[in-house]
Amino acid sequence: MQKKFLLAVISLAIGLGAMWDAAAQAKPEDQVKQRKAALTLIGKYFGPIGAMAQGKLPYDAAVVTRNAGYLEALSKMPWDGFTAATADFKETRAKPEIYKEMDKFNAAAEKMQAEVVKLSAAAKAGDQKAVTVAFGEVGKSCKACHDAYRKD
Amino acid sequence: MASDAPSSTIQRVHVWDLATRVFHWLLVGLVVFLFISGKTGGNLMLWHSRAGALVLVLLVFRVVWGVIGSSTARFRAFVVGPKQVWVFARQLLGISTRHTVTPAEGAATTVMGHNPLGGWMVVVLLLLLTIQVSTGLFANDDIAMEGPWAVYISKALSDRLTTVHRWNQWILLGCIAIHLLGVAFHVFIKKENLISAMISGVRKIDGSVQVSVLRLVSTWIALLVFVLAFVVVGFVVQPIF
Repeated sequence: MQKKFLLAVISLAIGLGAMWDAAAQAKPEDQVKQRKAALTLIGKYFGPIGAMAQGKLPYDAAVVTRNAGYLEALSKMPWDGFTAATADFKETRAKPEIYKEMDKFNAAAEKMQAEVVKLSAAAKAGDQKAVTVAFGEVGKSCKACHDAYRKD
Repeated sequence: MASDAPSSTIQRVHVWDLATRVFHWLLVGLVVFLFISGKTGGNLMLWHSRAGALVLVLLVFRVVWGVIGSSTARFRAFVVGPKQVWVFARQLLGISTRHTVTPAEGAATTVMGHNPLGGWMVVVLLLLLTIQVSTGLFANDDIAMEGPWAVYISKALSDRLTTVHRWNQWILLGCIAIHLLGVAFHVFIKKENLISAMISGVRKIDGSVQVSVLRLVSTWIALLVFVLAFVVVGFVVQPIF
């Protein structure tokens, strides 16, 4: 009986702990960290594809395919970090307009994810020319948001 | 431009050498392309940086040509003091000056090359373009493009210079708008077609005006300067070409 009670207390504690974690994740500073981290990694894995598309680095199909695959996952990660709770946060270049135009912002984020999917498909198909084209379109989709929703 | 006056009273003066005209229109084309590609992004960014480097070539050429070039291209011929600019501006708008206009000042209305106001606009535009090109060399777009010299400085500094690059484009655009308004004023109100003169090099001026002798320097020398500027810039900004 006592054992069962102890077990219940422990599981309750773990459960509460898990809930606490979930609540902590939603703190604005963590959301800002989350999206910055995701966007930093996107930059890291997108950069070499750009250098190869522009002929600044020799084309390495394996690296392009791997990076594009990473980007498919990473491109999904920043967006739920953009919530109205972070609007007043100082350490971000995200403009508060985002939270007034959530529909437009989300549409732009989806556009970017769609372009990344195309990039990854082109990489998997081993089509260097298509990769170059897709790289440009992903870059444009990045720029669309940077121009509209990022402070200088 | 047909004129009512008999042709004998119109003199055709060759004011702009070929080099200055090619410089001008090449720059126009590049600036238009640079604005469009800068706004579009994507794969045009590679061409944006190449076009920017070409503007640097043109700037180097123009500065050299401003010292050794034809008389109308030289800075000494069109960069004048504030008093001359003031007197010229009043004359242009038909406001009488308080003092008697001396022959030297009077000549300002019929200068063959850049007038005192236009001359300063040349200087301002060249300076703004220099700022734009040099910040571009260090800029980054946080996507997959950076200027060839961005690797030599910190990311924070590169970001700051990128901000200058972004702001200066609007200052540049504003000054280009003023430049165009000035040209429009001459074309539509003063009835002097500066645009055709910048295309053909020839200005039609009333026969009664005393024209000072203009010395045009050979286009071959200009070509040599341009090639040298191209080689120097190409060498310094290596990763682009």
